Amino acid sequence: MMKLLILTGLLASHVEMALAVNFDTEIIPVFTTAGCNAGACHGAAAGRGGFHLSLLGANASNDYEAVVHELEGRRINQTHPEHSLLLAKPTGILDHGGDVALDDDSPGAKRLVEWIRSGAPRGEQRKLTHFEITPERYLGTEVPVDVRLQVTARFDDGEPEDVTGWTVFTAADPIAVDIDSQRMARITRRGQQVVIARFLNRVVPIQLNIPFSENPIDLSGEPRANFIDDEVLKILSELRIPISPPATDSDWLRRVTLDLTGRLPDPASIETFMADQDRDRRPRYVESIMSNEAFNDYWTLRFSKLLRMHSQPNDKDGFNAYSEWLREEIRKGAGLDQLAIQLLTAEGDSHIVGPANFGRMINDAREHAELAGHFFMGMRLGCANCHNHPLDRWTQDDYHGFAAVFARLERGRIVSLTSRGAVTNLRTNEPAVPRIPGERDLSGNADFRHDVAHWLTSNENRYFARATVNRLWYAMFGRGLVEPTDDLRETNPPTHPELLERLADDFVDHGYDFRHTLKQMALSNAYGRSGQLIDENRSDDRFYSHAYRRLLPPEVLVDAIADVTGIADRFDGQVTGIRAVAIVDPLAPAPSLDILGRCTKAKECDENSNTAGGLSSQLHLLNGELINRKLTDKEGRLHQMIHDSKSDEQIIRQFYLLAFSRMPITEELHHWSNRLSDSDASERRSKLEDFVWSLLNSRAFLENH
Amino acid sequence: MANPNMHTQFHRRCNAISRRDMVRVGSLTALGFGLVDWYRLQAQAESQGRPRAKSCILLWLDGGPSHLETFDLKPDAPLEVRGPFQPITTNVNGIQISELLSKTATVCDKLAIVRSMTSPLGEHGLANQYLLTGYKPSPVLQYPQFGSVMTHLRNAPSVLPPYVTIPENRTTSSGFLGSSFEPFATGGDPSKPDFQVRDLDFFPGVDSKRIQRRREFLADLDSVQASIESRNLPSDSAFEKAYRLVTSSESKKAFDLSDEPAAVRSRYGSKMFGQSCLLARRLVERGVPFVSVMNTGWDTHESLVLKLRDGYSGAKVGVGLIPTFDQGFSALISDLAERGLLDETLVIAMGEFGRTPKLNTRGGRDHWPRVFSAVLAGGGVPGGQVIGSSDRVGESPHDYPVSPNDLAHTIYTLLGIDPHRELYTTDGRPVPVNQGGKLVRELCG
Repeated sequence: MMKLLILTGLLASHVEMALAVNFDTEIIPVFTTAGCNAGACHGAAAGRGGFHLSLLGANASNDYEAVVHELEGRRINQTHPEHSLLLAKPTGILDHGGDVALDDDSPGAKRLVEWIRSGAPRGEQRKLTHFEITPERYLGTEVPVDVRLQVTARFDDGEPEDVTGWTVFTAADPIAVDIDSQRMARITRRGQQVVIARFLNRVVPIQLNIPFSENPIDLSGEPRANFIDDEVLKILSELRIPISPPATDSDWLRRVTLDLTGRLPDPASIETFMADQDRDRRPRYVESIMSNEAFNDYWTLRFSKLLRMHSQPNDKDGFNAYSEWLREEIRKGAGLDQLAIQLLTAEGDSHIVGPANFGRMINDAREHAELAGHFFMGMRLGCANCHNHPLDRWTQDDYHGFAAVFARLERGRIVSLTSRGAVTNLRTNEPAVPRIPGERDLSGNADFRHDVAHWLTSNENRYFARATVNRLWYAMFGRGLVEPTDDLRETNPPTHPELLERLADDFVDHGYDFRHTLKQMALSNAYGRSGQLIDENRSDDRFYSHAYRRLLPPEVLVDAIADVTGIADRFDGQVTGIRAVAIVDPLAPAPSLDILGRCTKAKECDENSNTAGGLSSQLHLLNGELINRKLTDKEGRLHQMIHDSKSDEQIIRQFYLLAFSRMPITEELHHWSNRLSDSDASERRSKLEDFVWSLLNSRAFLENH
Repeated sequence: MANPNMHTQFHRRCNAISRRDMVRVGSLTALGFGLVDWYRLQAQAESQGRPRAKSCILLWLDGGPSHLETFDLKPDAPLEVRGPFQPITTNVNGIQISELLSKTATVCDKLAIVRSMTSPLGEHGLANQYLLTGYKPSPVLQYPQFGSVMTHLRNAPSVLPPYVTIPENRTTSSGFLGSSFEPFATGGDPSKPDFQVRDLDFFPGVDSKRIQRRREFLADLDSVQASIESRNLPSDSAFEKAYRLVTSSESKKAFDLSDEPAAVRSRYGSKMFGQSCLLARRLVERGVPFVSVMNTGWDTHESLVLKLRDGYSGAKVGVGLIPTFDQGFSALISDLAERGLLDETLVIAMGEFGRTPKLNTRGGRDHWPRVFSAVLAGGGVPGGQVIGSSDRVGESPHDYPVSPNDLAHTIYTLLGIDPHRELYTTDGRPVPVNQGGKLVRELCG
């Protein structure tokens, strides 16, 4: 009762201000800022408490209908606006499942009252023509610091308006940035902080940067191989993070060979490279290993994981055709745009036409759309199945429309387009209209897959290029510019926005040639830094001031163990001598790979597998067959060297070179010679086995660094 | 109201004063009930309410079990909601559960059933993370799950791994804490006669003397690499943990199910889930702080009767998901109780969400996070109670909504971990164990 009186009193003083309030552009932001149309409240697909609003106000017509006309108009009481359910509920006068969402003297409550008083009109349709946030980028010096966020919007019918109070700000890291009700952002931690601003359908990331140190650093004289270094150094100097010295030649060689071919460099190529004094030896080396079969094998495996390639029960032929096709495309250096078009449009006998298997990896049109979104756009469209994507621009119409593009596909052995098949749009419960997501409906009766393929590989959008270069970056640097790499969206901005754009441009300009992009990365100085930490860059894990250590992927590790020991693995059902990276089918039995954490169909393969390096894999390395059987094998490298009467020193040198791609320094050689020498032949043998075992379990071996 | 810091303190201990009490105390203060009295009251509460749980067994029902077929039946709802099964009475007056949980019905006096769990996340991966961490998934940070947090904070060096998962974990558990807090996966199937933990025994020809030598050699190599990178060596590496595990006979015995009498083994049922529960009991008995048992298949989009009750078509005795759960779960609870372990072992059975109130056209139910059930027992949780309720058709919480965040706050409190305690990311950033969750006081005794 008390509340009602206050509200009434408050109304009296505002009676004169009864201006026409616009529903679409002024009332919906009230709902959004108060959280009414969030996914957990009335924005849920089924609404809440019998009241449904479109998620984050995406559908103004429906919302107007729901607010003004539904429930026989009881949500609005024009005679006594304060009695309107629309106000009495969120202000807590009447019982409200969502507690008090609006204070009764808040600007939001006042605006609702004004709007109802003026007749609850929908108002003129007006378009947002200009939208500006200050600051959109902020560079401070100290913490804590308060930054006032301000937003100006201009519609096509009038003057710029301050809409700061009607904009929702969300800090990506709420522990580092706290935003109060006055839209003051308090930054309490140094580094790159991101705040997402949302007003109507606009979503803008704001970058708030505070350098890690109080002292400026000068990186202007640092060598730059290409634009990658320009962009990386720009942010490092902004954040005042000093860089580590360059990696040694042997470290660089090991790193780049592992990253590009999934193998350790062999002793012969190490020797050739180290003896080469030409200043172009690094580009030449990169080019030479990119034309190797090892490169083709490794990248076939990497792409196959992204495509979720796997065999079907009792049908290996389709899978074989698919993986052979992929490998051949990679081998001949086809542009990835050509690969994309084939994947999206192929038809025919899937035992012969490899890319026709793309749509056979999943069960239906919706999953087809999700896989296409994942692979070609680096996006998770799944949320938009049941409601508009809460963090992105995708609507249910986009999702179901995109799925409808693939609805007529017959997914048996013969992949073909039939005349029947539809997807129900869960929003309308009508058959979905085929649609290019975020763009336009497709009309007629054509095979719309061609329209989608054309759109994805044209200049119209950058999704494919961005998603691809981001994944290539991840493969080379151990972290995506956007993380996770399958979640590109406006509300999840990259650490280096300009770099991502320039990489995407460069990739497109070079005919979607991923070898070109990999080469740019491999030759950059950012890639060539050592992993040696200095105090001021110790905690950096995303700005590339030093090289990041990464565990070798399971397949690469298993092959590396085989290469060092000289004994190939045996895999059930595979030809003798096959390398683990050539086992493309995640369902092919390979227990060692499973224990070491290979990506299987059940896992999200974009994600870095954290299970590697855990106790289970450690036990396997310690007691399992993977290493032990190879060490004791009489045909293995160690026993052959012993048999050939090689000295301790020769054995130490050889295994250092194989495992670490470098020779032991004098101290290391002395150390091991002392520890390993033994007059008893069998004792010496077991010591040497233990020595090689420890090399294969050392961090220097298990990691790419 | 009292100052906010005090407010925080109230929630630190389970048996502390509830918010309702505080309102009362607050008003008494105005009438002269002094702060001193208040502190005394709180001290009393604390001495009674020490968290009792030393260990935790998490039975993870992966895929999202139907609340409407297990712990929250709606016999009076319309046909398309109530589903194929009937409720039965239990050993607690007024509590009814599914007829397929007849053995569980005899231990209900030890269970606390939360029927008003609610979450906005209906996708497996996201919901999984939310339920197991108490944090909604974020692109900035991967939050750690209960087991990883507990083993991170519980610095109890022991031969047995502090965190075991049977048989495998489906998701990354350690988040920003890093892979050394991943659970140890046993692999294999504990119901098989030849079940053995993978790679626990020495490789033939490699004795403990050689294992010791390998350990020394490895330490030499790793210290060289650490000095090259100017890093510190990790204090307790994965290798050191593995070394302790394989060199002890105690660990081998802990995992040896054949050591159990036949009667005990059959009590848990012959299925993998039951024998996994038995293995979990053996492990907590030997002081393992956290054991999770993975039970998959609960994503029942079709054929509820076949999947939940029968197990295969034409089954005379149901061996589907619910009877299998019933056998293993009830045996675990009663066995722990008989051994005097239940009071110090928190048992949690839950999945990532519930199922849609309306049956779909395939006789199944789809994802439904808005309301679902979770069951807790032991570890000081008062049994024989139902907390919260769902509405008439099991669509939304009717009262006492409990978010996964609230549940996480409560679980940590029960485990004696201060929810406000800060953890640190690799770059030194503090992140509280739980943020913003409310204590479900009824679970705390």
